[in-house]
Amino acid sequence: MNLLSVLIFLPIAAALLVVILPSTFQQRFKYIALGVSLIQFILSIYIYTRFNKVLPGINIENEFQLIEKLPWIRLDLGSIGKLEIDYFLGIDGLSIPFLMLTALIMFVATLSSWEIKTNLKAYFSLFLILNTAVMGVFCALDFFLFYIFYELMLLPLYFLIGMWGGARREYAAIKFFLYTLFGSVFMLLVIIGLYFSVLNPATGNHTFNMILMMDPANYIEGSVFSAMAGQSILGISARLLAFIVLFIAFAIKVPIVPLHTWLPDAHVEAPTPVSIILAGLLLKVGGYGILRICFSIFPDSAVQSAWWIGLIGLISILYGALNALAQTDLKRLIAYSSVSHMGFVLLGIASVTTEGLSGAMLQMISHGGLSAMLFFLVGMIYNRVHDREISNFRGLAELMPQFTFFVMIAFFASLGLPGFSAFMAEAFSLIGAFTSQDVNGLLPRWMAIGASLGILLSAAYFLWTLQRMFFGQIRLKGGETWKNQLVDVTIREKFALVPLAMLALLLGIFPSLLFDKMNASVLALVHLITG
Amino acid sequence: MNDLIPYISSSIRDSLASLNFFRAEISLVMGFLVVILSDLFFSKRYPQLSFILTLSTLVLVAYQSSGFLKMVSTPLFGGMIIMDHLAILFKLLFCLASILFVLFIRFNRAFQNHDKGFGDMYSILLAVHLGLNLMAMSANLLMVYLSLEMVSLGSYLMVGYLSAGQRQTEAAMKYALFGAVCSAIMLYGISLLYGFTGTLYLNDPAFLSGLHNIPRMASALALILVFIGIAFKLSLVPLHFWSPDVYEGAPTPVTAFLSTAPKIAGFAVLIKFLEIFYDPESKALSSSILDLNFVLAFLAILSMLLGNFVAIWQNNVKRMLAYSSIGHTGFMLMGLFIFSASGFKAIIFYMTVYVIMNMAAFLIVDEIEEKTGKQYINEYKGLGKKNSLLMISLLIVLVSLTGLPPTVGFTAKFLVFSTALEAYNLSGLPILMIMIITASLSTIVSLFYYFKVPLNAFLRETSGPVQISTRSPKVYMGVFLAFLLLLLIIFPALLEHII
Repeated sequence: MNLLSVLIFLPIAAALLVVILPSTFQQRFKYIALGVSLIQFILSIYIYTRFNKVLPGINIENEFQLIEKLPWIRLDLGSIGKLEIDYFLGIDGLSIPFLMLTALIMFVATLSSWEIKTNLKAYFSLFLILNTAVMGVFCALDFFLFYIFYELMLLPLYFLIGMWGGARREYAAIKFFLYTLFGSVFMLLVIIGLYFSVLNPATGNHTFNMILMMDPANYIEGSVFSAMAGQSILGISARLLAFIVLFIAFAIKVPIVPLHTWLPDAHVEAPTPVSIILAGLLLKVGGYGILRICFSIFPDSAVQSAWWIGLIGLISILYGALNALAQTDLKRLIAYSSVSHMGFVLLGIASVTTEGLSGAMLQMISHGGLSAMLFFLVGMIYNRVHDREISNFRGLAELMPQFTFFVMIAFFASLGLPGFSAFMAEAFSLIGAFTSQDVNGLLPRWMAIGASLGILLSAAYFLWTLQRMFFGQIRLKGGETWKNQLVDVTIREKFALVPLAMLALLLGIFPSLLFDKMNASVLALVHLITG
Repeated sequence: MNDLIPYISSSIRDSLASLNFFRAEISLVMGFLVVILSDLFFSKRYPQLSFILTLSTLVLVAYQSSGFLKMVSTPLFGGMIIMDHLAILFKLLFCLASILFVLFIRFNRAFQNHDKGFGDMYSILLAVHLGLNLMAMSANLLMVYLSLEMVSLGSYLMVGYLSAGQRQTEAAMKYALFGAVCSAIMLYGISLLYGFTGTLYLNDPAFLSGLHNIPRMASALALILVFIGIAFKLSLVPLHFWSPDVYEGAPTPVTAFLSTAPKIAGFAVLIKFLEIFYDPESKALSSSILDLNFVLAFLAILSMLLGNFVAIWQNNVKRMLAYSSIGHTGFMLMGLFIFSASGFKAIIFYMTVYVIMNMAAFLIVDEIEEKTGKQYINEYKGLGKKNSLLMISLLIVLVSLTGLPPTVGFTAKFLVFSTALEAYNLSGLPILMIMIITASLSTIVSLFYYFKVPLNAFLRETSGPVQISTRSPKVYMGVFLAFLLLLLIIFPALLEHII
């Protein structure tokens, strides 16, 4: 049994345990989930320390680490050839940060699940299945397997939002599901198209191996997605069309601006732990997919559309920030700030420079931690008084000093104060976008300049919120009752908040902890895309 | 007359030799007789005898059929029927559907409590099963017609068997009338075909050449008439009107059976017809008489669109499943564009999974209706809280029907998509691309209506939710089938290795 398989299937085993145990044990389920995420975290740290940073991976199969490859489905389809689907796992510099992030976020989300009081058996089994799916997505190197894990995330999320969510949960859950499914159904067609175009040189079969799909030499001459053949579907170049379809599928997750409307609804209706997972991990699956699949398999189309992707990133940054300014609900504000911050990821990716890609990766990890922290903090207030309207609170700093301390860390880190991870990440993304004009001419400078305006806006909405909610005289809508309910941070909450705050500081001061491990991969990716 | 005498001995020899391959069907006939007799004489003393006899007959038939699994294509009885790998696969599929059906009837309360008892139902089933087997093997137009009629007559009886209430009678009547008209049309088409070509054998080269010698309009008309008969069995879109009413009105086990076995047999016959127009060079269908690719794709698109979109507005669960099965039929048509014996693996895989999930869906819906009287989706509110095992099984089945991981419905859907895309690759016909895109969109639409069930069952609350006892054979069966759907995605080799 390979380490990655343990990492992926440990939660499923725990989920089975939760299902089998009688409901009288239901108060213990959270400890099972907590134990699982702790073990995963230790395992991922172990993998991190053993990770060989010299091997880039990306498009060379034997440079991946912890590879596990088993034949899975071999159906002979006659004229189409033999179906070659593998159980194929492996990691490189692009996936290792996400493994650690997943374990950490799952840990925090479990701690925040203490607030869930009903139907614990169902909750924790769904939660653990979700854990498996997310881990699987970051490790899978076979496109079919990737897709299965990718889709497996939807069902648990649908029920987690739908069953434990707020008042409009039905609407939010189905909207989320339909949006994502819309993207992924068409992704399936591209996967099949790729499968027909690519041959495994070793066996002569068609294959779903992502790494083989990255090598133009493996494409059958004249096949749909062969770069040489230049085929077109319904008047558009087939490769460009496939790229756009895949990009939209992942961009819905990221989310990019015209396709982001599921996100505020899902976040507002979801219970706190699910918001944490959504913001901390699910959005990253989108970014990871764009890097691992869109840009790696269709580098030519990626270069072709880089300008548009950069523009979408810029629009997301500004539009998200402006929307955040206008929100009156604290959770909605943070949801929109996610849209804005994920825009930097797109901008960094679109620049296709080493700085830009490193910045985008760092931004994903940094935002993963920070958004989890922000949602956790909102959840704390909401749990105590069941309200999160910004205007209903004033002077919280006096009432909850420790809470305010954590809020300030999270706010300042998010708005890009030097010393915190988001600063490094946004700075690198911007440098990437800025130099892109000279290095490869993909993005014009004004995009970088426009994006820096986004940092200004995020300072505005975070500081304004801080001022409105935390400073000044204590004035609460609920009066004395609220005052008694708003107790300061408990020990359990500190366990969740401290690691996240540490992550933001650590990556802000020593970003090389991450850059070191992924640099070889980022260089290889840039080389793969720009040739 | 005298000219034929020299042939008699050889034809007798041929028939006798064929009997050897005909064991499964002989068992069916024997089983049919034994079940009738046992029901007549022993039904009072051993009420379960006919059930056990039917079940063992079906198991025996499955065993006997599987013995010929690896055989090469062999014409039997002077070419009236052809037994090949594909036909055996179809026969095994029918066995699966029939066995599930028999168990389903056995534990259905409406059948248990009915005065008539269920002995006759079993004998009807065995007769229908014989018809299904013959449909899958027939290579002669008369044989096609005879077997099709055999299945249809049995199906009419099944629908009206309980004659409980007006709705059921109406369904049976509608089915019989519609079916009779369609088969008359088909018979007319067959007679035209015979007149044009002078042969009834589908694989006779004279058949195709004869068709080409006739003016295009005339031969196209004859073919269309025959296709109407088949499309009726498949409930493809222009001829689907009967199916929602019949599915809703018929006893639930019968609905489950009708939406699987005869439909699959319809596909078997359709494949037989399409085989004539298969062009081995381009690996695709081609015909100068009728643009078959266009017609098939068009029907598929229509069925997927109508089946899935109309299902959204259904509130009755059975009716929703009926419309969704129209959509599934359209989807299955997509697997017919690639033509080669092994190319049908995708569609056989899909059909197997379809039988399992459709049967499971009706089983669970029937169980809920029996125990709580709830037939409408909005009545399912809060059911999931108390009956988690049953409702989770239903959820798995519905997820599989939608075609999402982690259920084998996804693998099946994936395989059919693969063959359709490959067909597009080979031919480059835009209509195929449109069909594939329609299929993708209808998947999203189907999510919308399938998920109304878990939406009500899990997300909505109701005061005083009903608890259904899990100690019921139908619950066990439903759970088992749902588990199978999960198991098969991890180990598809279990199925692969038969196909």
